[in-house]
Amino acid sequence: MIRVAHLTVKYGAIAALTDVSFEVRPGSITAVLGANGAGKTTLLRTISSLMTPSQGEIFLGDTALVGQKTEDIARLGVAHVPEGRGVVAEFTVEENLRLGALSSPENSAHAVAAQFERFPVLAQRRKQYAATLSGGERQMLALARALVARPTVLLLDEPSLGLSPMVTADIMTTISTLSREEKLTVVLVEQNAKSALRIADHAVVLHVGTVVADAPAGDVANNDDLKRFYLGLVK
Amino acid sequence: MLRPNFHRLPTTSRWIVILGVTATALGFTFTFNAGLNAQIASGAAISIVVLGLTWLTGWSGQISLGNSGFMACGGYFVGVWANHHAATPLVISLLFATAAGALGGLILAVPATRLRGPYLAGATLAFATVTSSLVYVFGNWTGGPTSQLFLNSLTTPSWFARMFSGIQASLNSSAQYGADLAICVAAIAFLFMSNLFHSRLGRAMTLVRDNDVSAELMGINLRRTRTIAFVIAAALGGLGGGLQTLLNGSVTPGSFPLTISITLLTLMVLGGIGTLTGAVLGGLIFAVSSNVINWLCSTAGISSTSNLGTNMQGIVFSVLLMTTMLIAPQGISGNIVRGYRHLMQRFTSKIDNSPA
Repeated sequence: MIRVAHLTVKYGAIAALTDVSFEVRPGSITAVLGANGAGKTTLLRTISSLMTPSQGEIFLGDTALVGQKTEDIARLGVAHVPEGRGVVAEFTVEENLRLGALSSPENSAHAVAAQFERFPVLAQRRKQYAATLSGGERQMLALARALVARPTVLLLDEPSLGLSPMVTADIMTTISTLSREEKLTVVLVEQNAKSALRIADHAVVLHVGTVVADAPAGDVANNDDLKRFYLGLVK
Repeated sequence: MLRPNFHRLPTTSRWIVILGVTATALGFTFTFNAGLNAQIASGAAISIVVLGLTWLTGWSGQISLGNSGFMACGGYFVGVWANHHAATPLVISLLFATAAGALGGLILAVPATRLRGPYLAGATLAFATVTSSLVYVFGNWTGGPTSQLFLNSLTTPSWFARMFSGIQASLNSSAQYGADLAICVAAIAFLFMSNLFHSRLGRAMTLVRDNDVSAELMGINLRRTRTIAFVIAAALGGLGGGLQTLLNGSVTPGSFPLTISITLLTLMVLGGIGTLTGAVLGGLIFAVSSNVINWLCSTAGISSTSNLGTNMQGIVFSVLLMTTMLIAPQGISGNIVRGYRHLMQRFTSKIDNSPA
C-alpha cells in the first residue's frame, strides 16, 4: 500500500502540491487526474524521490520514502515509467529490456524472456532499434522494461501521451490485465480521464495542487460536476 | 543517432576482429623501418588514451579536457618508480601506471561527477593544469621543471628474439619491439573495453548519458556510475602515459602538455565518438600525423623550426576537427559504416528489383 500524507511540494516559492493526502490499496489501479499544471507529474516524481517535498510523508507499506534515494526506491519495487517513456533510441528492443534488469538481482535473460512472452509485438521486434518503433510500441517497451525488475508498484506518467485512441485503449487494457494478473499496484497519471477511469478502481482528482476528489473511479465517472469543472468531460 | 555498432557483435566475433587487426599490425612492424615503428608505437599508446576518452565522453556523456593529467599520472609514476626500482618487470610497471591513472581519475571524479557541461570541462582542465604543476612541487622525485627522468631503454627479451629469429634476424631493434609491445598492450585494452561496452555497465552508462532521470528510476546510482566511468578512462590514460614513457625511455615536464588533451579530443572526434573503431583510427591518425605535417611543411617551404612550423600540428588538427564536424559529425568510422549501409541497401534493392 502507498500512503501519501499531507504532502506539500514547492518549486521555489510556488507550491505545486499543497497538503495532498490519499491512499493506494495494494493490487489496485488508482488514477490521478487533473488538468495541465494540476501537479500530477510532480506527485509521481515526489513518490520516486526525484523531488523533495517541503512537508509531508509518503509510505510504501511501513517504509518511509521521503529522504530515500531514487535508486533505492526503485530497488524497493517501485517502477516509474516517466512521461516521454525514456527508452534508449539507439538500443534494440532487447537491449532496452535488459536495462530494466540493471539494478535487479534477477536473471536478466529470464526476466526479458518473460516480457517477450507477455508482449508478443516486442518479441517480433526484438532486434529492431527503439528509434524505429511506433509511439504505441515504445510505450509497450517502456512498460515491459519497468516490469523486468518485477516491481510491486507501477507509477505510470501519461502512458497515452501522443497515442491514437485505438492504441491508447490497447495500452489501458494491458495495464488493467497486468494489475489483475500480477497483483500490481498501479498509480496512473493521465490527462485522458475517460480512458483512465475505465480501468481504474479508484481516482484522485487534483486541481492546482490540491485534492478535490478522492473516491472510487465509478463515483468520479458518474459525477457530472467533477467531470465538467476538473476533467473537461462534460460540456 | 544510430552509431556504428561493432560492440554489438557477439563476443567471439569481436575478439576475432580485434585479434585479426592486432596480428595484421604486428605483421606490418616486420616491414617498417625504425622511424615508422616508433610512430606506430606512439599511435598505439595514444589510441589507448583515446579509447578511455571515447568511453568517458561518447559512452557516459562526460567531457574531459584533463586526459593529459591522467597520462602524466601514469607516465611520471613509471618514471619515478623506474628510477628507484630499475629491475621492475614491464607488466608490473604498466599495471602501476594504470593504477596511478585510476587514482588520479578517482580524485578528479569526486568533484567532477557533480558537474555538467562547461563546468565539468573546466574542472578537468584544472586537473590537467594541477597535475603538471605537481611535477614542480614534487621536484625531489620528479627532478623539477628542467630535468629529464631517464629509464632503462626497452630491450627485446631473449625469448621474444628467439621466437622470431627465423623470421627476421634483426628483431633486436628496440623500435620494432616497442611497436609490437605497444600494439599488444593496446590490443589487451581494446579487448577489455569491447567487453565493457557490451556489459551491464556499458548499457548503464548509455542510459545515464541519454536520460539520467530514467537511469535513476531504473535503480542506477548516477554518481557511482559516473565515477566508474572516470576511473576507467583515467586508468586507460595512465596506461597510455606509462607506455609512452617506457617507449620514450624518459619523461619530462613537457611530455604531457595541456595541448595533448585537445589533440586527444580531436582524435576522438575524427575517429568517431563512442566507438572502438574510432579510437583505433584516432591512434592511426596520430601515428601518421607527423609524417604528413613534415611533408606539408617541406612542400610549402616552411621550416620545421619556425614559429609556423612548430605550431603546424595544432593548425592541421584544428582544420581537420572543424572539417569533420561540418561534413562528417560521426567521424571517419561513422562515415565508413554509413557508406557500407548505403552500399548494402543499394545492393539489396537491386537484387529485389531484378527480374526473376
